[in-house]
Amino acid sequence: MIMSAPAILENIESTFKGNEVQKQALDMLKEVGLPGRKSEAYKFTPIISLLEKNIDFEATGDTIFDSSMLYKEEGSHLVFINGKLAKDHSTISEKLKLQVAEVTEGKHDPFSLLNAAYAKEELRIESGYEEPLFIYHFNSNGFSNPRIKVNVKDGHTFRVIEKLITPTDTKTFTNSYIEFTVGKNAFGYHTKVQNYNNHTFSHETVLAHVERDGQFYNNTFSFEGAMVRNNLTINLDAENCEGHMYGLFLLDKKSHIDNNTSVDHLKPNSFSNELYKGILDEKSTGVFNGKIYVRQDAQKTNAFQSNNNILLSEDATLHTKPQLEIWADDVKCSHGCTSGQLDEDAIFYLRTRGINEKNAKAMILNAFASETMEHVKVESVKEEIQGLIDQKLV
Amino acid sequence: MISIKNLHASIEDKKILKGINLDVKAGEVHAIMGPNGSGKSTLASVLAGREDYEVTEGSITYENEDLLELGPDERAQKGIFLAFQYPVEIPGVSTTNFLKTAINQVREARGEKPLDAVHFLKLMKEKMRLVDMDQALLSRSLNEGFSGGEKKRNEIFQMAMLEPKLSILDETDSGLDIDALKIVADGVNKLKSDKTATIVVTHYQRLLDYIVPDFVHVLYNGQIVKSGDKNLALELEEKGYDWIKEEKAAV
Repeated sequence: MIMSAPAILENIESTFKGNEVQKQALDMLKEVGLPGRKSEAYKFTPIISLLEKNIDFEATGDTIFDSSMLYKEEGSHLVFINGKLAKDHSTISEKLKLQVAEVTEGKHDPFSLLNAAYAKEELRIESGYEEPLFIYHFNSNGFSNPRIKVNVKDGHTFRVIEKLITPTDTKTFTNSYIEFTVGKNAFGYHTKVQNYNNHTFSHETVLAHVERDGQFYNNTFSFEGAMVRNNLTINLDAENCEGHMYGLFLLDKKSHIDNNTSVDHLKPNSFSNELYKGILDEKSTGVFNGKIYVRQDAQKTNAFQSNNNILLSEDATLHTKPQLEIWADDVKCSHGCTSGQLDEDAIFYLRTRGINEKNAKAMILNAFASETMEHVKVESVKEEIQGLIDQKLV
Repeated sequence: MISIKNLHASIEDKKILKGINLDVKAGEVHAIMGPNGSGKSTLASVLAGREDYEVTEGSITYENEDLLELGPDERAQKGIFLAFQYPVEIPGVSTTNFLKTAINQVREARGEKPLDAVHFLKLMKEKMRLVDMDQALLSRSLNEGFSGGEKKRNEIFQMAMLEPKLSILDETDSGLDIDALKIVADGVNKLKSDKTATIVVTHYQRLLDYIVPDFVHVLYNGQIVKSGDKNLALELEEKGYDWIKEEKAAV
């Protein structure tokens, strides 16, 4: 990877307040640099140059906390304001164990290092019950680095729903990092609804480690945003574990969403399934990149991936790229991507039954999109997503 | 009910229909027969409002209205129904959900109140019996993975649900075995009344044993070249289409 663009790093260095470990992360970041124009991994999402043009990293905004934005659901609700847990706005179940800690390590990819260096705190959460956990990030500062670690303990089922809320009139950049450790025979679910405004830039890293017989599900629903990059990595570290990745990007205006996903099969008998669907209208841009690694030890792996897209406008842009790297010899892997326009025959068919053109299109697109919602189990989240889909398709 | 005058239609500059004249009155069944490529399915598609075809000349008047001014959905709302030769598979849209939307949109256009769930289900059960439709198909995606016979049956089921005035059956018999054919024809016959009309487009005479036409028209090279009663269909079955072609060539 060719790195450049140290300008941002130099500019923000004066605001650095981290501890020794964070200093190390910063030093490492300076060495590897942030991905510039020529970076292969950010080829279609030139986030650094856009951040340089748009973001005042030192800007501080008024708090935009609004309790009406919270889901009306049982469970714990954790409110973060500009990367810090706001306990007085949060509802924390007695059974949920959490700890506000300092950053004690930084990973090697640039944005994770950036997060490690500038995070104000690291929130550590342990599953202790089966009610869902809702996490909200109300970020009004120019630059925020929410950092969360979730431990889904052996045998537990834990659902985490995460959401970013930003002001409509200020440009913000959120560089978030969330890491899951899914224990033996445990189930971790992570769902995100990304319906931002055109002032919102974000880079969102989700990393999961899955232990023996464990399963991790990620559902990412993207609707709007100036530029959003999702880095999702699932490491299937042990035998018989599963990783599931579902995503929908239903974009219009000039929204730009990049889903960069990766699943790594390290041991035998693991399974992964990935389904991403894109609907692109107006001048939007959608990017999908799906990597599957099957290591030499990971015999009897089943790995499936598919990305299907519908382009509704000639000005919309789509980049899709599957990448498979397989070292084991006894595996079943498949990948496929399709891109096309709305099926005119299908629209005609529905219209001959009396359904008007607008509704016929919405019906077909709705059916296309809803397949990605299968693993969203929390009712009000489901309703929210369906509502956003309906709103976009009318 | 419908009056087609000197209808010319083309697709991508290729002329398919070259002056069709046809009058269909309420209570009548018209069969349109003809060899492959004669323009039968084009005629059916143009009547239903497929926008790929350009009408270059002529007119279609349906119940005193210019049909060509209406979109496919408006035509359906006014009582025109096309049973497709190749029903389209629509993944993710359940047959029930689709029909409920369709019926209620048609009712809305006719100034009627939408059907509630109870009445809709009742209607559906009643019409399912008519074509011996398997209930399991209704919860599946529309036509997806249906067999040829199931798709055709589903077309007639939809027709029964929507209660059209003018039904156009485009090669509904192709790909049906004799048992399925009987069921489908039986369904069509039960839906007939003196207020409705049917246009049956077919390549084979077989269907017309079960849906008996009042008039048979032979379409060849984009024109109706011969009309007669049901005996014309039998003659065609016996002699094939070649004599029509020869007769036409001789003129």
